[in-house]
Amino acid sequence: MFRTDEIIKAAKLPPEGVAMSRHIDYIYFIPILFVTIVGTFHMHFDLLAGDWDFWIDWKDRQWWPIVTPITAITFCAALQYYNWVNYRQPFGATICILALLAGKWVTIWAAWWWWSNYPVNFVMPSTLLPSAIVLDCVLLLTRNWTLTAVIGAWMFAILFYPTNWAIFAYSHTPIVVDGTLLSWADYMGFAYVRTGTPEYIRMIEVGSLRTFGGHSTMISAFFAAFASSLMYILWWQFGKFFCTSYFYITDDRQKTTKVYDVFAYATLATQDKAKLSGGKA
Amino acid sequence: MNAKHLFKHFVIGFCGVATLAVTPVFVDTTPAFAHGERSQEPFLRMRTVNWYDTEWVGKSTAINQVTELKGKFHLSEDWPRAVVKPHRTFINVGSPSSVFLRLSSKVNGTPMFVSGPMEIGRDYEYVVTLKARLPGHHHIHPMFAVKDAGPIAGPGGWMDITGNYSEFRHDVKTLTGETFDMETMGVSTGIMWHLFWAAVAILWVGWYMIRPMYLVRARVLAAYGDEILLDPIDRKFGAAMLVFVLVVVTVGYLAADARHPVSVPLQAGEAKIKPMPIKPNPFVVEVIHAEYDVPGRALRFQLTATNNGTEPLTIGEFTTAGIRFTNSFGATKLDPNYPAELVAAAGLTMDKEGAIEPGQTVEIHIESKDVLWEVQRLVDILHDPDQRFAGLLMSWTESGERLINPIWAPVLPIFTRLGA
Repeated sequence: MFRTDEIIKAAKLPPEGVAMSRHIDYIYFIPILFVTIVGTFHMHFDLLAGDWDFWIDWKDRQWWPIVTPITAITFCAALQYYNWVNYRQPFGATICILALLAGKWVTIWAAWWWWSNYPVNFVMPSTLLPSAIVLDCVLLLTRNWTLTAVIGAWMFAILFYPTNWAIFAYSHTPIVVDGTLLSWADYMGFAYVRTGTPEYIRMIEVGSLRTFGGHSTMISAFFAAFASSLMYILWWQFGKFFCTSYFYITDDRQKTTKVYDVFAYATLATQDKAKLSGGKA
Repeated sequence: MNAKHLFKHFVIGFCGVATLAVTPVFVDTTPAFAHGERSQEPFLRMRTVNWYDTEWVGKSTAINQVTELKGKFHLSEDWPRAVVKPHRTFINVGSPSSVFLRLSSKVNGTPMFVSGPMEIGRDYEYVVTLKARLPGHHHIHPMFAVKDAGPIAGPGGWMDITGNYSEFRHDVKTLTGETFDMETMGVSTGIMWHLFWAAVAILWVGWYMIRPMYLVRARVLAAYGDEILLDPIDRKFGAAMLVFVLVVVTVGYLAADARHPVSVPLQAGEAKIKPMPIKPNPFVVEVIHAEYDVPGRALRFQLTATNNGTEPLTIGEFTTAGIRFTNSFGATKLDPNYPAELVAAAGLTMDKEGAIEPGQTVEIHIESKDVLWEVQRLVDILHDPDQRFAGLLMSWTESGERLINPIWAPVLPIFTRLGA
């Protein structure tokens, strides 16, 4: 079904080399790459969009659909660069969001439920997995990061609200308490005491995006899509910056050349390596 | 010793220190019983919110039973320059997590679900209705949160909750007529969707994991470009996955919309709360000098007091930062349930203990002296950027009416006994 045999043959590795490469795949992919993304991306995401994702009474029509995709697409773009440009693997965004959610759920059970005793529905995270899969699919199908930035990043942000409406629609059900109209989410935010988080901390339903005929969510989603597109381009370039390795080689005429093909370095003879200058490979 | 050895020693030392640092976490699992209220600077606790009549109703409450935290506070006229004015405030509860469910919070009878402005120099009465949720022995504070200034803790009292958490539930009826348990509503739906999308994502990544992932592909890419790597079946799978995800998202959205057709946005209004009416007070008080005696642990102030009323008045209490200094007369007015650790029952002395007669103006030297100044870290007033004090002076008429006078003044420190 797959071209695996053809690819292995083209790699020109001995059978033990192929077997070793699979061991490296597993050791590198799960314990190193995945856990590293959990640690770094989870922290990055929580620092920038944490409260919108932690609390049910922050998931509004304006800021939640803006802040979350824009923050999340960052590492997705960089990881897509790394996986696609170096290996033609189209799962950079998906693995990134999977790792984020793994970290999120560890936090929910360990910190929010077991340690702080908040109910799971109060701190339920949003999901960006459909958005990430679509982003990866667009990169695979277009094979072009610019088109992915335009089509994929827009879909990444646009899909966020409808995806999560399936999870959080109930929290916008109206209730009346003490003669005051509240959404279910508002009342949860009020009822479950957060000593260090008074109500005014919430950044919700503020801003001028509401002026377009009251269609706050649509406007927010399209703004998020536009910003995500720009963010994708920026972070793709970050990925390029951090994934690009090179070395300098000086030939017999003392001419120094910058060489990007790091695989060539591994195949150089010892005496040729001695000729290298700069040592920046 | 070369750099490598230095580095190795550094790593070993770092691991050792980290081990020592983490060990107490496992050895000493005694829970913390306070919220750091004593670490708040004295000017924050003395000159912003003057709490009084605080009551922790029901010292012991069973799971699912309802109790109250209530009281009054005065927003000090001597509000510090270093603290943002109370233009946006919220009455909160200081508790170790949500041990109580807060059912309602009313300030001067108005529900306070969202924050709102309050006026300096005015009084407010709050009642917070609480439903017991997590069993234990809990330290509970009223809190006054001011936007851009932070939470200001009131006095803390102990409240016990008995029973089992497993019995807790809180049913809420929606405007559409359905009733749900707030503790569990939406959990199964949320987890189902998270698991579903995680499964789809694992399928997507797994599709590529079952084949050589990195080293082999990198070599082929470097040698031949990507023509061999871009397997046609991957494109078909990608297209199918794209359609599948879009269809499921659409169906999920429409299904949720049909299940919850009536929705409202999050409510982000402002609480409009009127302060308590100003009560006529015939007692006029002005502080003309104040000093803090560091070795003596005493705040002394000198004031002129005029009784413009028709009944004799007796001063009985000075309260600040939730701490109550009373003389023998004031001690008879104390609520016996008020936390003893916040009361200096014989901590207030005056050079003129008797009643102030109607029409009389007197100059009184008052001393509030107790180790509580030290224990509650109010002695740190000497390290404040603005060395002043504020509090409430309480006096009673012969007929038992209580009069409350906010007082405030700059404080001069006395560092040695010779100075006193």
